[in-house]
Amino acid sequence: MTRTPAERVLLGVGIVFAVLGSLFPFVWFVLTSLKSPLAVEAIPPTWWPDGNLGFYRSALAEHQLLAYVGNSVIVAGSTTVLSLALAIPAGYALARIPMAGKSWILGGLLTISMFPQIVIAGPIWQLLNRLGGLNTHWGLTLPYVALTLPLAIWILATFFKDLPLELEEAARVDGCTVWQTLYRVMIPLATPGIFTAAILTFIYAWNEFFFALLILTDPAKQTLPVGLALFQGEFTMPWGELAAASVLATLPLIVLVLVFQRGIISGLSAGAVKG
Amino acid sequence: MADLVLTGIDKTFGHQRVLQGISLKADDGEFVVLLGPSGCGKSTLLRIIAGLEQQTSGSVLIGGQCVDALPPHRRDIAMVFQNYALYPHLTVRENLAFGLRMRKTPSDIIEARIAEAAELLEIADLLDRRPKDLSGGQRQRVAMGRALVRHPRLFLFDEPLSNLDARLRASMRVEIKKLHKRLGVTMIYVTHDQIEAMTLGEKIVVMDQGEIRQIGTPEEIYRQPHNPFVAGFIGTPPMNLLEGRLSVQARKCLFEAETFQLVLPIVPEKGGMARPIPAILGIRPEDLLPHPEERPIVEITGTVDLVENLGAETLVYLAIDGKRLTARFPATYRVQPGNTVTVYVSPHRIHLFTKGERLPFSCE
Repeated sequence: MTRTPAERVLLGVGIVFAVLGSLFPFVWFVLTSLKSPLAVEAIPPTWWPDGNLGFYRSALAEHQLLAYVGNSVIVAGSTTVLSLALAIPAGYALARIPMAGKSWILGGLLTISMFPQIVIAGPIWQLLNRLGGLNTHWGLTLPYVALTLPLAIWILATFFKDLPLELEEAARVDGCTVWQTLYRVMIPLATPGIFTAAILTFIYAWNEFFFALLILTDPAKQTLPVGLALFQGEFTMPWGELAAASVLATLPLIVLVLVFQRGIISGLSAGAVKG
Repeated sequence: MADLVLTGIDKTFGHQRVLQGISLKADDGEFVVLLGPSGCGKSTLLRIIAGLEQQTSGSVLIGGQCVDALPPHRRDIAMVFQNYALYPHLTVRENLAFGLRMRKTPSDIIEARIAEAAELLEIADLLDRRPKDLSGGQRQRVAMGRALVRHPRLFLFDEPLSNLDARLRASMRVEIKKLHKRLGVTMIYVTHDQIEAMTLGEKIVVMDQGEIRQIGTPEEIYRQPHNPFVAGFIGTPPMNLLEGRLSVQARKCLFEAETFQLVLPIVPEKGGMARPIPAILGIRPEDLLPHPEERPIVEITGTVDLVENLGAETLVYLAIDGKRLTARFPATYRVQPGNTVTVYVSPHRIHLFTKGERLPFSCE
């Protein structure tokens, strides 16, 4: 497609604005986290930080940031593992096994994932209260798994559906049971889909605030979002520490996406069949 | 190695009947081709033999053993798929070993079998590559190798050459033929390509609309088609088939199609056709000759409609009393559209069909 110079300029400007707009808050709290306490409060604001790491030190030392990170890793990690362990076989079954009412099941999953969280907050709290799951990590993991499953199943079912049927038949002729076909042939081929589902699940569990606040009232168990929200200074809002903590909370996600980006290469199945 | 016997195989998908009363036998070591237009049920039949699909009724016997209740991997068969179905995440070596590993074959035997297959198929230098780094022909070889290493009782091929270009297809055809000679194993081969069927098959099973139309050697299928379907399906360009009426007279027959009339010096083996009956007359394009070469001979005179020069031969399209005939002549035959020509056919080369079946006759 060819564009006139005017169109190209317009496009360029548009892109720059979009990127700046979405990146600005992020850039601002990164800059803030590196300032000295005085510079944070300065009016007019200073743009360039002085490279002071004091906020990081106090966020880690005084606000037990690492404990929150640890809690988040446990909850998000086990949510991802559990959710995928259920979503992979479910997605495969929905993609391949002929069954009555398949479209109702898929439609139902989609509907459930659209329920407003507040609607199920009460019942979940009561359930966990009876089960003794309040203030436990598994008590938070359970609703997270339930909430992330629909999306994970959808992603994986779509992915499995696109893999060539002949491969499964070849595996059957070669002597694989259904489970062996799944983990020896289908899962290796579905890695891009599995990574996608895993990252989305992990990000959800990592960022989730509402249920975490509801279920975890014990500060020792709280996850990062809750911990950050409850950051408290004695007299002032600790903006600098908050910014530093936010950077630290975001970093793992960025690292995760960058690492697994290599896994999310589609076209792994190219060459399986003619292509 | 084993023979294969199918008895009364039926298959219905919902309300649709895909296979109807299929019975056939492949002898031990025989190369059987299932041939038919797309949608005739040949692939479904192959999948039923493999166990990938369950028949509605009837049974499959491999080496005298009924395998109806066995899953694919316990039937001791190997299948080569149309799209090769190589595992993309495994190297060629791992692809070859996969089926043996699943059967817990000792690794020294696996190594030996891979070496053997690699040598036979000339893929030894590809063993550490992945399928995506192979050409179509190489993938095809690996797919065959994967079947080969298993030393199965029965080889099943599902249109294995249909994704290759014409030249590669011709050379792979020869390779498959050689492979069969060398291994002497029973092979069932599905194709819609009649050249593959004619060159590879020791026995051809012509199928249409879920039923077997004829079983025979390539020669029989070509020379003595049992019905108009087989007659029209086999051969390029296809056999000339004229619909008309046949009446038996003393020591000869009269074939009439509207204004077109042909006196045939033949006598049907079953006599007693007092009144004219509907019939189909068939003549292969190459059986129409530019010159009378023997006696008795049938003469047909018509106008040349169109001439196609194919290099080695010339196709001449004739219009005869509103009917069309295609003749295949040597390239040296010179003729122009609009010319009136007489073509000749030996009565031995004529095919007659009544009530959908071949009408046997003797020549006077």
